Parts: sequence; C-alpha cells; structure tokens
Amino acid sequence: MMLNKKIIICDDDEGILDMMEMILDDEGYQIIAESNSLNLRSIIERESPDLIILDLWMPMLSGDQLLRMIRDTEAYKHLPVLVISASRDGETIAMDAGASGFLAKPFDIDGLLGKIELQLSATNWQA
Amino acid sequence: MNAFLDGKFNFSGDSLKYNFDLLTQALNASISGIIITDNMQPDNPIVFCNLAFEHMTGYTRAEIIGHNCRFLQAQDRNQKQREILANCVKEGKECVVEIRNYRKNGDLFWNELYMSPVKNDKGEVTHFIGVQNDVTSRKNAEHDLRQQKTLMEKQVQERTIALKESEAFLTSIIETVREGLLVLDPEFNVLSANYHFLKTFKVSIEETVGKQLYELGNNQWNIPKLKELLIKILPTNNPVVDFEVEHDFPHIGKKLMLLNAYRVELEGQFKDQILLAIEDITDRKEIERRKDDFLSIASHELKTPLTTIKGYIQVLERIIPKDASEKFVNTFSKVSLYVERLNTLISELLDVSKIQTGNIELHMSEFDFDHLIRETVDGIQATFPGHKIILQGETKAKVMGDESHIIQVINNLLSNAIKYSPDAKTIEVNIANVSEYVKVSVRDFGIGISPEDTAKVFERFYRGSEIQKKFPGMGIGLYICDQIVKNHQGTLWVESEKNKGSVFSFTLPKHRKDNDAE
Repeated sequence: MMLNKKIIICDDDEGILDMMEMILDDEGYQIIAESNSLNLRSIIERESPDLIILDLWMPMLSGDQLLRMIRDTEAYKHLPVLVISASRDGETIAMDAGASGFLAKPFDIDGLLGKIELQLSATNWQA
Repeated sequence: MNAFLDGKFNFSGDSLKYNFDLLTQALNASISGIIITDNMQPDNPIVFCNLAFEHMTGYTRAEIIGHNCRFLQAQDRNQKQREILANCVKEGKECVVEIRNYRKNGDLFWNELYMSPVKNDKGEVTHFIGVQNDVTSRKNAEHDLRQQKTLMEKQVQERTIALKESEAFLTSIIETVREGLLVLDPEFNVLSANYHFLKTFKVSIEETVGKQLYELGNNQWNIPKLKELLIKILPTNNPVVDFEVEHDFPHIGKKLMLLNAYRVELEGQFKDQILLAIEDITDRKEIERRKDDFLSIASHELKTPLTTIKGYIQVLERIIPKDASEKFVNTFSKVSLYVERLNTLISELLDVSKIQTGNIELHMSEFDFDHLIRETVDGIQATFPGHKIILQGETKAKVMGDESHIIQVINNLLSNAIKYSPDAKTIEVNIANVSEYVKVSVRDFGIGISPEDTAKVFERFYRGSEIQKKFPGMGIGLYICDQIVKNHQGTLWVESEKNKGSVFSFTLPKHRKDNDAE
C-alpha cells in the first residue's frame, strides 16, 4: 500500500540520511535522500513527493527557511513536511515555519514510522 | 568726700556711740570678711576683723588681731598675687587679687581680696581695708569648666579623626567598588557620583554632579518606568530592586544595566536622599548567552550521531536472528539503554546551564493533567516492560504550566524509580487534587535512600554514597526536577526508608500565582 509513496529526506548529516533511507526503504517507501539543502527545491519540483522529512540546522539554507519557501509556493502549500531536529527549540521553530509534524532527534523507529504514516494518511484524508 | 564728716552716718541722732555701734553691727552682718590693717605700725598688723572673716578663716579674733595678713597663705608663699599686693601696699594703691589662702584646719580656699588704702590729710597711707570673699566654689567650677572644655576639645579632636578615618574608609570603598553609585536629592539632582559611574559612562564629575538625573547625557536616563519607581522611594521607602534597563548610549554603545535604588537612612531616620546603584551586566549577560549558545550547539552536534546510532541499533534489534543467544539479546538491550542514557545526559547538560543562569523559559499553556500523566506513564512503561507501573487516582484537572517540563519531571521520577528498584516489579503512581494543587506521588519498592542522603538528593551533582558504584550518572536529574517544580511554584520532596523504597511527590498549582511576592 505504501509502495507508491515518495519521501524526500533532507538532512546535512550523511549518517542520518543513510540510516533513515535504509529503514524507510525496508518499509516500502520510495526514498530520495539529499544532503545539500540548496538542491531541495529542484528535487521537489522534479519528484513531486508525498512527504518531505526536513532537518532544521543545515548549512546554506536552514530547514525553516526551506519550509517557508515551500509554504509560499501555491503548489506545495499543503505538502506534508515532517521536521526532525535535535535542537531544543526545534518544535517551536518548525511549527512557526509551517511544519505539519515534528519529531525530536534521536527518535525511535516506531515513532518515526508512526509520524510518517500519520502525515501520509492526513493528505489522503485531505485529498 | 568723707561720708562720715558729711553726716551720712548720723543715722538716727547725734550719738556717735550709737551710730558707731550700728556700723559695727553692719560690719559683722556682712558675709564678706572685712579687716583693717594699720600701715603706720611695723609689718602692717591687722587691727580689726569682722565675724565673717573669723568664719571664713576658721581662726578666732584673738588669733587674728596683731598678725600680718600673710599668715593666711601658710606655706604657699610663691604666688605671684603676693607681688601685686606688696606693690600696692608700697605705692598705696587699691587692688583686687584672687589668692590661695588656708583655713586654720589647713583647708585651701580661694580668697578674692579687695584691698584699698586709707589716707590721712597729708596723703600718707594710714590703714588698709581688706574685703575678702571665699570664691573657692566659683574657682572650682571655673576649674571644672576648664577641664571639661579641655576634655571636650580632646574628644572632639579624637572623634574628628575617627570620623575622617571612617569617611576615608567609606570613600575608598565607594570609589573602588565596581558598581556605579549616585546619590540623588528629592528632585533627582545628582549630589555625588563615584569613580566607577564616571568611568563606565565616560563622563566627568562636572557633567554629572549638580545635574538632574534625567538630563544626564542627552536625557538618556529619562526612562518613564525608572522615574515612576524613583518617585515612590522617598515617601514609601519601596526600594527599586534589580530593575533591568537596556540603553543605547551615544559614546559607549548598548548597555544592559541592573538598577537598585534605596532611600538613604541614618540611625533609623531617613534623609531626603536616594542612593542609586548601577551595575553594568552587559558582559555578564553576553557571556551567559554565549555559554548557552555553545551548549545548544554542542548538544545538537552530539545528538546528531546519536540519532544515527540509535536508528541502526533499532534496525539491528529488528533483525535479531530467531536462534540468537540470550546473551546476544541482552547485550543489545543494554546498548540501547545506554544510548538512551547518553541522550538524557546531553539534554540535561543544557538544562542545568539554563537553570543556573536563570535563562530557562517556561512555555505556559493549559493542559489536561490526567492525560499528560497517562501518556507519560505509557511511554515509560513501553520502554521498561520489566516493571509494572500502576497508575491510581484522577484529578480531571486542567493545569497551567510548561507541559514538556512536567513530562520531564515525571519521566525522571519514573526512570529513577525503575533504576533504583532492580529487584522489585511494581511502581505506583498516584495522582490527586489537593486544594488548589495537583499532587503526584511515585512510589518504588527498591533500595531506598538513607536519611543523610534524603536531604541532599535534590542538590546539583549530588550522588548517594553507595549509589555511585552501582548506578552511574551525573546526579543532575533530581536537581533539574526540583528546579522545574519550583519554577512552577510547586514543591518536590521525598520520603524514603532504606531497603523498603522511596516515595517522590510533587505538587503543582493548577493556576500560577503571578503576584507571588518573593
């Protein structure tokens, strides 16, 4: 059922990218992992993902900057974005920037999968 | 010239004897001693003395008549008044001297002696008349007064020196102290300013003293809120305490200052003066901020690889082969346990730093208390299936507080309860309404805490003596819990018995008392 769901993960830390890709891949999601925040916009346009998982503290463009950019684009206004961060104020920053969900690092796999499922089902329901 | 010949002594008739008698009685009634000496005889003997003279000197008439006056001086012969007397006798002049005389019994008395010559037709001095008054008490009083004056002068001198010394001492303190100090009069004119004030705000004493506070340096002290507080000081004695002001000064840039102002009081009497102390906390705040920033970055950076590690461990846990040994499985669960602990430690590091500098921010919102407890307990229960956590009671309360902080407290108490009761299987959590508070108690049946440790468990970095070996940690968890509960104006406490278990309880007011005066 999840086979067709496409998730972009954007995090500057390769370790986290690899780990998440492995887990979500096993779950049957289609994963596009990106460590350079500058590339995110073009990837979104190219891939039309069902969900974006976004880190906050990244070089070049920070997660909240990217998120605001996404929300400012009419086509992606309702695109689910799950923010993951180890920052203490992460949740506040994420919600202020328009995130649809937040998960604190480090997280449990079950927690991650639960949040992803929630985000994806919400879009289904919205659509 | 001669009163006698003028008839002034013809009192009531022509009888000379009668009149003479009256004069003699008058002489004897006098309280001044009166004597007459005969200057025509050798050594000027006393030929008359009245009663007062006898009383004054203690001698009887018989002992007096025929003697020269000097017998009254006894052995005290070197007085310079004697010279004056001798000169007057020689030149036949009158004089007044104060001379030391001695009574028959040897007692000293001061004699104010008025001596006047009596001359005959030829101008020769025939007699001297001496009138004497005992002025000892006056002399004594004078003496005492002089002594008192000397003593007082000495005391005044000593006190002046002491005052100067203490003034110098105080001045040196005032000038050395690293806090700007101003003394203001009721109109907020600057009466004095110390060195540190001048240095911090780069002004001269001329630009400051005598000026109105609000006019100093382009009205930069004209702060309405400060004005309002200062106005209240003199009439109400309400001091201004730790009033934080940020100002962009023309020459020295942005400064963060802590202001304290008090009414100047002396021996319980208040003076019409205000002491304003200005502490420049710009650098201190900046250092605190940088430290917090550093710790935020450090904890973020440490958590990033930890996220990866935790993820991979969980991946591996999921693919543990069915035939894996028990040792293999146990080892795995231990690894994840310690990764979790490392995560907690990193979070705590930042918390402690924030709490210590008072920078912890509360995000207050109303939340469903029972729901929060249930979710938190469920979360911990899922992580530690080895213990059964029994939740009892309900409050149906909405509580105003920082949800994430309260969750942190409950998580901490629960994980402690589990950690310190390795051989017990149950933990009891009880929640209840207590007046305007909600109360949470977490009971374990574990190793307990010794009485000497119970008082200290909420101290920072405190670890129970026997605990350290068996249960390593940093000893900040309970300290943070205590601070969080205090921030919410509640209390956290423990009751415990060695080897029986512990009960940690805390209360939270459902609604914060904002006017809680410290």
